[in-house]
Amino acid sequence: MGYNLLEALNVRVVGSGDRYLVLAHGSGTDQSVWQRILPLFTPSFRIILYDLVCAGSVNPDYFDFSRYTTLDPYVDDLLNILKALGVDRCAYVGHSVSAMIGILASIRRPQLFSKLILIGASPRFLNDKDYHGGFEQGEIEKVFSAMETNYEAWVNGFAPLAVGADVPTAVREFSRTLFNMRPDISLFVSRTVFNSDLRGVLGLVSVPCCVIQTARDVSVPASVAEYLRTHLGGRTTVEILRTEGHLPHLTAPALLAPVLRRALAR
Amino acid sequence: MPTSVTAARQFLTEETASALDEAVAVARRRSHAQTTSLHAVSALLSLPSSTLREACTRARSSAYPSRLQFRALELSVGVSLDRLPSSKSDEDPPISNSLMAAIKRSQASQRRHPESYHLQQLHSSNNSNAIATGCSQAQAILKVELKYLILSILDDPIVSRVFGEAGFRSCDIKLALVRPPVTQVSSRFSRAHCPPIFLCNLTDSVSGRVGYNLLFPGQEDGVDENCKRISEVMAKNSGKSPLLVGVCAIEALRAFTESLTKGKSGILDGDLAGLIVISIEKEINEIVNEGNEEKMGLKLKEVEATLEKCNGSGGGGVVLHFGDLKGLIFDGALGDFVSPLVLRLASLMEVYRRRLWLMGAVDSVEIYRKFCDKFPNVEKDWDLQLLPITSSKSSFDGAYPKSSLMRSFVPFGGLFPTPSDLKSPLSGWNQSIPRCNLCNEKYEQEVDALKKAGSAVSVADQYSENLPSWLRMAAVDTGKGEDVAKTKAGESMLSAKVFGLQKKWNDICQRVHCTPTFTKSDINPSMSQVPIVKGPQFSMDQKQTSNGDLSINESLFPNQSPGRQIHMQTNFLPKSTPSISCTSEGRNMNFHSVLHVDVPSVTQQTDKDVPWFHHPQQSLSSCSGRTPSSFVPPVTTDLKLGTIYASTTQESKTTKSLNHREHLQRFSGSVSTEFDANSEVTSYQFAQSSSCSVPSSGEQFDLGDYKSIKKALAEKVGWQDEAVNSVSQAVSQVRHKYRSFRGINCKGDNWLTFLGPDRVGKKRIASALADVLFGSQECLVSLDLSSQGKLGHPNSIFECKELNRHDEMSRGKTVSDLIAEELRKKPHSVVFLENVDKADYGVQHSLDLAIRTGKFPDSHGREISINNMVLITTSSSITKGNVNVICGNKDVKFPERRILGAKNWQMQILVGSASDDAGKSNYMGVRVTTVKEASTFTSANKRKTRNAVESSELEKTDTGEREHKVPRSCLDLNFPVEEADEEDMGLGLSKSESSESSENWWEELFSQVYKKIHFKPFDFDEVADKIVKEISSQCQRTVGTEVALEIDEEVMVQMLAAAWLSDKKEAIEDWVAEVLGRSLAEAGQKYNLTPQSVLKLVAYKGDVVKEQAPGIRLPAKINLN
Repeated sequence: MGYNLLEALNVRVVGSGDRYLVLAHGSGTDQSVWQRILPLFTPSFRIILYDLVCAGSVNPDYFDFSRYTTLDPYVDDLLNILKALGVDRCAYVGHSVSAMIGILASIRRPQLFSKLILIGASPRFLNDKDYHGGFEQGEIEKVFSAMETNYEAWVNGFAPLAVGADVPTAVREFSRTLFNMRPDISLFVSRTVFNSDLRGVLGLVSVPCCVIQTARDVSVPASVAEYLRTHLGGRTTVEILRTEGHLPHLTAPALLAPVLRRALAR
Repeated sequence: MPTSVTAARQFLTEETASALDEAVAVARRRSHAQTTSLHAVSALLSLPSSTLREACTRARSSAYPSRLQFRALELSVGVSLDRLPSSKSDEDPPISNSLMAAIKRSQASQRRHPESYHLQQLHSSNNSNAIATGCSQAQAILKVELKYLILSILDDPIVSRVFGEAGFRSCDIKLALVRPPVTQVSSRFSRAHCPPIFLCNLTDSVSGRVGYNLLFPGQEDGVDENCKRISEVMAKNSGKSPLLVGVCAIEALRAFTESLTKGKSGILDGDLAGLIVISIEKEINEIVNEGNEEKMGLKLKEVEATLEKCNGSGGGGVVLHFGDLKGLIFDGALGDFVSPLVLRLASLMEVYRRRLWLMGAVDSVEIYRKFCDKFPNVEKDWDLQLLPITSSKSSFDGAYPKSSLMRSFVPFGGLFPTPSDLKSPLSGWNQSIPRCNLCNEKYEQEVDALKKAGSAVSVADQYSENLPSWLRMAAVDTGKGEDVAKTKAGESMLSAKVFGLQKKWNDICQRVHCTPTFTKSDINPSMSQVPIVKGPQFSMDQKQTSNGDLSINESLFPNQSPGRQIHMQTNFLPKSTPSISCTSEGRNMNFHSVLHVDVPSVTQQTDKDVPWFHHPQQSLSSCSGRTPSSFVPPVTTDLKLGTIYASTTQESKTTKSLNHREHLQRFSGSVSTEFDANSEVTSYQFAQSSSCSVPSSGEQFDLGDYKSIKKALAEKVGWQDEAVNSVSQAVSQVRHKYRSFRGINCKGDNWLTFLGPDRVGKKRIASALADVLFGSQECLVSLDLSSQGKLGHPNSIFECKELNRHDEMSRGKTVSDLIAEELRKKPHSVVFLENVDKADYGVQHSLDLAIRTGKFPDSHGREISINNMVLITTSSSITKGNVNVICGNKDVKFPERRILGAKNWQMQILVGSASDDAGKSNYMGVRVTTVKEASTFTSANKRKTRNAVESSELEKTDTGEREHKVPRSCLDLNFPVEEADEEDMGLGLSKSESSESSENWWEELFSQVYKKIHFKPFDFDEVADKIVKEISSQCQRTVGTEVALEIDEEVMVQMLAAAWLSDKKEAIEDWVAEVLGRSLAEAGQKYNLTPQSVLKLVAYKGDVVKEQAPGIRLPAKINLN
């Protein structure tokens, strides 16, 4: 069993090396988002790539609306994949929602992860009393209704905003993967993500983490990285990339790669 | 008998009627006799907010750009319309029978599905009276909605053929229509203002039909995920007490306890059924705030009593819910009351393990830590397990209705009997989820056992053991082709058994471990039957395959897309060709999934010999989009061709991994040849350490690739660091581009230009590239465009280097023909064209075309594709704007052109007495004679004057330099042309004057190549110094310090050339040590050497080297006079 899962989520293992490295994409993208990073690590790592069930490249029928209501089923998926592949220890690079998933997975199976690298991670996107997550509930609702009314228009508006940096190919690529998602799934996942609140559980993380954040990210304010650093249970470092946007692996792979390498070396 | 437009219109809603009007207008414009379904399609597509177009967008294949596909659709609709007979008529063309039939059909289907009433009711709710007519009255006429009309029209065979021509499957479009995206739906009901009615009606109908207890939408399911996890913790063997952690934990806790007290089924059953929830939250509050312990005491007694009862009855238990943990660590003065409580609870836990669960929630881990600090043993005593809770349900209200709506659209589309089929691929997937780990393991054990038993019978198992059963079937199909049916029967038996096992363990798991019932297969038991039925069926259709009944085979493929099933059922054409192609697609899909599944398992063992594995793009692009089995986009035509081919080859092959590779190579197309090379390259990659500096380049490329190429090149040409760097960079960039599938279009991508001196270095790099890229140095086509039609140079040291191999057969052919011939011989090669700037007009023309079109034309107009080649053009010149490349302008003792003139003479050692000159200087050691003279000769002045004269004369003058040493025999003939070239280039100016057009040409050519790489001149002087040093130390060792050795400059040039040419780095040193050393020693023995005597190493003119020293183009023996 489990092979169905591997197939359904397009799991791939590439590269050589004695260490496993999981590259997990964020919402709105799929594993192709790593293609610029991937070649730089295939010589030294055995890289596990997979698509989140919400990704456009996964059969939308697999997305069970009654199941994927929280992040935990995503964590289940990740852990099941690793189990099916027989991985007993790996480093994990997660972007955005996958960063959250990685955090939760490492809480459940601390021994499985040697290192978490969290790109554009945020434990909570909504603002709170003494927490600045970057979004107000009202704004979010507006975004959701925009997604509902015209998904394509929303994608076209959101993609350049999220990508941030002036990299047209990245915008195109992100728009593509974003638009690949079925709109209802995309909306549902967004809701799930915005409803998630990891702040309380960050302390349960014992795996060393590296938080990678760009200098300006529409989705994640700079304070969040600091929040993560202080609240994550494990030894945590923060790396600020001198670029903009929520998707540095798409816009500035050359900048990100050395940082990843450094983080993985530690 | 056609129906009039007005008569037809009365059956339609306003929206539909306007669409029909459009269709009529189309027909009128084209002056057609009737308005047909095609007109309707044409009109529907051109509507401003076209539902059909939108559905097409979602249903379309991802392989084509959407614009193209729509263009194709428009074209095919247009063409079909053109075929219709036209007539002259002033009236509106009436509705054809077929279109009318479609309208009737849609009306009927709308009537059949009561849901549509709601839709219609909503739809017309804008005008108030419509509701009344919609709901209460038995309608005289049911107005057809646009959606239903479109669905019916798509059933029309003519229409579906038109769509098929454009690469759409009408069934896919229908599915897309039936399951509209959320946007459309929500906009619809926001207009309607009555979503609750809509939803309730729908959800009721859903639950009624499927037997799924869907509670009020928006609440239940969301909680379930958290509840599920909580109950999982509680249900585990150890029966831990969950402590929910997270900002939303308290909400989740509340939701859980509420649902528990309400006794809802499905959350906790099995062991945990009938748990009693007792909350001590209030009591705790009282203790902490008021110090009132009495109530707590009472409560705990009550708890104890209940627990006793449970123990007695042997069932049930208590969940003691203490609410927010924060309450217990309230830092008030009365905090002391807490510790007795904690202890009390601990002792309760001790006594009533497995009957009592504590349950609480806490905002964040920090608070829990604080609590733990106070009560260090609490985690163990209370048997707590932290459970991260990351989201609550309450904020989810908005989201869920949508999803339930989405799902509700599946039964909604009752028009199609397939939605239940649609889930069948899911069941396989879902089944991996419902079982808990324990059951799963047991299940796997049993399956393994079963498989081992089975493998004795079936050969197929040996290589596909780790595949899911249905994939294994597929593997048998593709791998074995027309293998014995017995095996397959056994296989299907096995798969049936496996499914049986799956079901069994699912049941057990549900019963014993109370895994909540979430999966579809559990919701609807009839669905989980599907795969079980499928197993045996499959074996049957395997047999049918051999009978040639491909259509049935197609529709029964278990992992077939449901869309395609419909397609096959509804639009099955009795022709055999299309069904064959479909089948091979199906197979191919299977194959893909096999491949995909297999990948992870293959990796571990065969990483190194599966080269395609390192080409993520290729495997991804060919597989990923299609593997998820049920929603396969229509396959594009070119892929079809490929896959048909592939599936036939697969059948002829036996080993699976071979198939994989071959298959992928099919897909990889033109790059395929690089694979072999790559497998070697990758092995380099493995060896490399991960630390490396990223070369500065804006372009993206594979660093590993780059490094391995660089390494290979640098081994060959150690002295051209920068050039090697940029060559490998360029090559890896191009390869990266190829891999990401966007490369081949860019013209000139596979062209490089090497500029500047160092002819040998360039050549060497080219051959090294051939080795790296195509696996052998033999894959090098090397042509010197400047030497065409000229005589060879019999005694040159470079002669043996097969540089001008083609000369002898070049008679009667143009240079382009020669090149073309070579290219034809080696379609995968590095093409090394030297001195492009000297190319004649024909070649210029050919090269021009080649770089622009990717095809090299010969003089007969035949073209050879050069897309699989790497073309390297060289010029010893330097382009404008890059003057910093030194080109003989410095005071160089041995300029390259001199070295190129080196001859392959035998060497000789002469003994003489010290000349007067030599005597004057006290001690000479080893020196190169006439070096001084030579360098003055090369001064710029001299060359300028020389440049004016004809090239043959130039050579003469050039040889004149060495007059004193070289007897003026027939040497000018022997002089290599390259030298003259160098000469020209060194000056540049006069050249550009003489042939400006030509220069413009190659400047332009060079501007189109992917990259220009500048070569540094080879530092002959340095090598000369080294050689002199080497020789002098050798000399001192063998014949003593007092003997002087004069090296004739000619010999020096020869040695330098040899050093330049040699593959080994230390070749010249070795030669000096061995050959020269031996000869010197012999000379020392033979002649009585005095301090006055001078040994002279000179070239023995007229005698070509007969025996070469190993590894270097120098004589193996030196004559002694």
